[in-house]
Amino acid sequence: MSDVVEMHLKLLFDLDNLIADTEEPSYKKMGFQLEEEASLVLVRKRNELLQQLPKEIAQIYEILKKRYRQAIAPVESEFCLGCFQKLPTELITRSQDITTCPNCGRILYWRKK
Amino acid sequence: MNLASLLSKDRVNLSLKPGKKDDVISDLVYSIRKGNDAALIVSTLLKREELGSTGIGKGIAIPHCRSLAVEKLEIAVGRTNKPINFNAIDKKPVSLIFLIIAPPQDPGNQYLITLGKIVQIAKEITKKNLIQKAKTPDEFIAMINEIEKSLTKRK
Repeated sequence: MSDVVEMHLKLLFDLDNLIADTEEPSYKKMGFQLEEEASLVLVRKRNELLQQLPKEIAQIYEILKKRYRQAIAPVESEFCLGCFQKLPTELITRSQDITTCPNCGRILYWRKK
Repeated sequence: MNLASLLSKDRVNLSLKPGKKDDVISDLVYSIRKGNDAALIVSTLLKREELGSTGIGKGIAIPHCRSLAVEKLEIAVGRTNKPINFNAIDKKPVSLIFLIIAPPQDPGNQYLITLGKIVQIAKEITKKNLIQKAKTPDEFIAMINEIEKSLTKRK
């Protein structure tokens, strides 16, 4: 996965989380000002980012988002933080491309140390 | 979770350089993360600001987001000597900024709980006119601790 695709994917994911959080009832009670039109702009922005991704990755992302709400799971100590299953060693060693968790299917993300 | 325990003195900058809103947010982020991670966080934070300013009024702003770039809840505080324009709800300039970045996976939704707590503490700071009170990061953390305790007692 190229750096640009990775950056788009991560930003898309963070935007989706942002949209989801602002829809939480507890968030709305905190008193932050939210402009309705701006929210539409944000959804448009995430859709633009989705279109900039390679079609296959965009499709996987959307399917996983529908299934789990969060399509990407970080990897920590060889565990998928989406399903908390240990990942096979061969997966750990080829962490350069887009990789999905063999257990839950989420797109795996290795944080740079 | 105790908020003061999430704050360390190297994350409290009481002489943050004043400037444009976006630059100040960026400076705070780059004080805790570098490179692509910082760029990703700044980008998401600025998108959040497009939804409406996180300047909650009376001189305080709480920019916040979740990001893949962090593994645990990260908080940084910045205070400018000269208030800056943050397009806050009350249109007043801001001089105290709480920055909160949370990981996407967050058991127990600690992020929103902590965010809510910071909003409460921020309201106490403005009510008691404490924005410029602390002279050192240690004093600032002690002040937060005290406010948090008084809020817990009140419940």
